[in-house]
Amino acid sequence: MISTGNDIVAFKAINVTRTKQQNFYSKIITDSEKTLYDEQFSDRLPFEQFIWLAWSVKESVFKYLQRINPDLIFSPSKIKLEELIAPSAEGISHFEGRDFNSQTVYQGIIDYSPYTFYSQTIISEDFIFSVVNHTDNFEKIIWGIEKIDSTDADDQSKAVRAFALAMLNTLFPDSELEIDKNRHSCPIILKNGIEIPVPISLAHHDHWVGYSFHL
Amino acid sequence: MTREETLNELKKVIAPYTVNKEMLAGINDQTDLIRDLKINSANLVDIIIDAEAKYDIEIDYDSADKMINVGSCLDVITEKINQK
Repeated sequence: MISTGNDIVAFKAINVTRTKQQNFYSKIITDSEKTLYDEQFSDRLPFEQFIWLAWSVKESVFKYLQRINPDLIFSPSKIKLEELIAPSAEGISHFEGRDFNSQTVYQGIIDYSPYTFYSQTIISEDFIFSVVNHTDNFEKIIWGIEKIDSTDADDQSKAVRAFALAMLNTLFPDSELEIDKNRHSCPIILKNGIEIPVPISLAHHDHWVGYSFHL
Repeated sequence: MTREETLNELKKVIAPYTVNKEMLAGINDQTDLIRDLKINSANLVDIIIDAEAKYDIEIDYDSADKMINVGSCLDVITEKINQK
């Protein structure tokens, strides 16, 4: 079954000092992921950003699989970031669209036995945004990131739905689309009240919201 | 420490991470940290770290994974306190 998973972390809302403490980051990354950072990324990526990149990727994998297995428990230590490729260019090319610009994203390979996932992560001055997929081809993935005014959970929820629906309405014109939740609290897209086979994932943190869906 | 005393201390641990104070006051074993208390998942590790400090315990990977609702949090904390 095809699914999708994304996550967003706002830098303004994280505690940098705490993130760098061993008792904190060891709840998120494994020893092998720490080694991956030390050997390949310590000279180009602040440690706290690596931790939250890893978190966002793991959370995205969890969201991807929870749609298929609603009883799944989030176990960050069991979702392992095996490889990470740094972008070759600085900056963000766009905040919404189809697929990713491979030159400006971190590309990861994640092992969650027996599954393998692929991630695309955008890191800006303000946030980390990740999307995972079951292949390394993201051409069928539509995604978006938006800054909002409120940090209230209900406002975030409404804002991210409106943001994703605006894109969906351009792709499915003349359809009465809605975003609802299924009985396991996974977001679903309804067309004229009936769920359509387009898995969607929503995320929000502080002033930032993000979505991904798989066409 | 009784389960009620542990619960009262747990409310203090959770308080900084939820704006839903009314719900927090009336939490029970079934209260889900994310769905009911609207705690952002990025703060779950904060709650585990704060619980470790509050109860002077160490919460391992497998135990931390279980802490998704108030009841499971209390079970894990009680187990770790009893192991001291």
